[in-house]
Amino acid sequence: MFLRLVADSFSRRPRHKLLTGAALALGMAVATAALSVSLDVGDRLAREFRSLGANLLVTPQVDSLPLEIGGVDYRPVNAGAYLPESDLGKLKTIFWRNNIVAFAPMLEIQAHVLPMGGNWSDTSLIGTWAEHEVSLPNGGTFSTGVVKSNPWWRIDGRWFSENSKECVVGIDFARKNGIKVGDFLSISIGGYVTKIPAPEKVTGILSSGGPEDNAVIVSLSTAQILAAKRSQYRKLYVSALTKPEDDFGRRDPHSMTPTELERWSCSPYVSSIAYSIKQVLPGANVRVIRRVAEGEGAILTRVRTLLWLVTFASLLAAALAVGASSAASVIERRTEIGLMKALGAGSGTVGFLLAAEQLLLALVGGGLGYALGILLARLVGQKIFGVAPEFSFLVLAVIVGLAAVVTLLGSAIPLRRASRYEPAPILRGE
Amino acid sequence: MPDRKMFWRIIRRLLAANRGRLFVILLALGAGAAITAALLNLQVDATRRLTTEFRTFGANVIVSEHQSEQASRSPTMPESVLDGLPSSNNNRSISAAAFLYATVEATVYADEQIGTKPLWSGPVIVAGYRYIGNELGNLIPYKVVDGKNTVVRDTDICDIGEQVAKQSHARPGEIFKLRTQNAEASCVISELRSFGGSEDSQIFVSMKTAQGLTGLTKQVSLLQLSVPGTPAQIDAYIAELKGKLPDVDVRPIRQFTEGEAKIYNRISGILSATVALVLVLTGLCVMAAMTNVAMERRNDVGLMKAIGGATRRVLRLFLAEAALLGLTGGVLGAAVGILLSMWLGKAVFGIAARPRLIVYPVAVALTIIVAIAGAYPLRRLANIRPAAVFRGEA
Repeated sequence: MFLRLVADSFSRRPRHKLLTGAALALGMAVATAALSVSLDVGDRLAREFRSLGANLLVTPQVDSLPLEIGGVDYRPVNAGAYLPESDLGKLKTIFWRNNIVAFAPMLEIQAHVLPMGGNWSDTSLIGTWAEHEVSLPNGGTFSTGVVKSNPWWRIDGRWFSENSKECVVGIDFARKNGIKVGDFLSISIGGYVTKIPAPEKVTGILSSGGPEDNAVIVSLSTAQILAAKRSQYRKLYVSALTKPEDDFGRRDPHSMTPTELERWSCSPYVSSIAYSIKQVLPGANVRVIRRVAEGEGAILTRVRTLLWLVTFASLLAAALAVGASSAASVIERRTEIGLMKALGAGSGTVGFLLAAEQLLLALVGGGLGYALGILLARLVGQKIFGVAPEFSFLVLAVIVGLAAVVTLLGSAIPLRRASRYEPAPILRGE
Repeated sequence: MPDRKMFWRIIRRLLAANRGRLFVILLALGAGAAITAALLNLQVDATRRLTTEFRTFGANVIVSEHQSEQASRSPTMPESVLDGLPSSNNNRSISAAAFLYATVEATVYADEQIGTKPLWSGPVIVAGYRYIGNELGNLIPYKVVDGKNTVVRDTDICDIGEQVAKQSHARPGEIFKLRTQNAEASCVISELRSFGGSEDSQIFVSMKTAQGLTGLTKQVSLLQLSVPGTPAQIDAYIAELKGKLPDVDVRPIRQFTEGEAKIYNRISGILSATVALVLVLTGLCVMAAMTNVAMERRNDVGLMKAIGGATRRVLRLFLAEAALLGLTGGVLGAAVGILLSMWLGKAVFGIAARPRLIVYPVAVALTIIVAIAGAYPLRRLANIRPAAVFRGEA
């Protein structure tokens, strides 16, 4: 009998049910889309922030004070310490290995450069990886280098290939000395030049907007040979995906209890990643590049809060509209309620019947709205990040639960009033 | 005009007939209007606020001497360039600092009695600086590792980078003596700062001290600027600066300008998309609720037609009712929404969002349109045959 009444109510007034259901589905679609996008956006944006480059800098622990102005180190080759290149594969063995997006070692030395048919001039020579396959201790390889870690570097021509006599010249240095792609230049290190070394071919002109614009860039191995520092580097830039630092993340790990330390090292704070890098690179000092890390943290936190608020607002709007629509559908059924009560139904039975109808509607409408919302979220995600947000059961649970709660709450007030109706005046049409 | 009087009387009665129903409609419309106004206002404000937020990355423009053919290691330019900078870009003030670098022989002493045994000695880079606008930390973000408020008369104060501290074991409160070939100066260490860059191996002193040490009066090595604005506004400012200062080299720090532009576009894109999505669906949702409410008016329509109301007049009556409801809901809801967005702005950015006057009429207009559109299916009621309604059919 109960089921028949519910089925009857749906078949008798399909239009009303359809409209209430549509309001519900649309409201829940907004909620789903907003919720999926904001759940996903943090990770996507964190990746986006890596276009700002490295946020960690690794230098030798026992080092002489770098005499660095504007990013150019004026120390002679034999001053200061170096780090072994062979350890670099270990970076991808740390607990946060999947958060390490890219890294690039640098060996910077002051050099004399002789362009073909030009004059000797002094500039800095940077040895690094353009695109390098690092072999990992577990047998695999990882492709990284400045192309990945410094995406704002623009190259006119192509990068040098490793193990060949090729180099790339910074745009300012090239302009000053009239160097073009395809030219040759000789590079020499040290006090004075006894014989002109074999020339390197210029394969590209680099524009970085930084001190590299005034340098000559060669592959790390070439620079190591020139500087007679085999398999060594001086600086390592690491670009890692991090979680914005909160008060807990800023604490000193040495002052933590073991449980706190575990929680700290299990959150990808920039400082805890630095800490775990330090453990695999003996003799290295890992510093956080504050400029990049702090700005990133601040903006990510703000954007995340903003999106959560927008999501919350859309949930609220959806809830109010859905609630209003289900309230309206109960109000208009005064006569029916009166009739049921006149036939001997108690207030409880009537309320239960109407609530069951609303819940059924909520389930169907919520489910449809969820499907629609997921489609919308995919569209938005695809459009903005080129990747659709991942499916999340959490969203489904929240949406269906929200639909049920909102429709029930929306009908609760009119239902309570309906339970107080006297059947006689309603049936008389008063 | 008795006709018009009658019209309004009917509307009044229609509205007053069922308080619960009136409340429900106003709630739906008001909620829609509030969300519309709040999100529109926040959207306009947030993209603007974001560009300010980006300045936590610090400087994004560098002004330096032209890289000339026979460039010496540290070319300098006149300090007056700093004071000649246009101080604002699109009404937002620009921070800038001038730096002068010099290599000095530094010695650390435990206290002011410099005659005592030195703790450490070695070559260090000294950076003299002077800023306009916000503090140095806004141009080169750093973290203070250790600090001491030292007020010592007749002595300069300097701040040291993390690496300098590590090498020299100098601590705040100790004295640095800086010496060049032709001059010397001393300062009390105030703060120990961590930058994560080449600044970590520098000692920060006042511009006057650095100029005194190098003998380069009124000269600076370079200028760092933090220019707020959208990517296009920053480009425009750089172009303006280039025109104004033809003798020096003005260049954006591409690492930040390009990264910021990319992130700015993404964030404003996602914000606009979410807001548009929410607005469209909120509109549809409110419309569905309105339609539901409007459909139950069939008895009224039947009665009006039975006593001789022309279809168009009846329809006009109901549309007028819907418009009136939309207006009320919109006016109330949008006001609430703007207050809400100011509060939200405060929650997110710490500064209340500025209410934009244009948002208010737009939100009210949108609500009225949605209300009328929601009542529009009543048009179909024009085909209702009064007799059928009264018999309780259909």
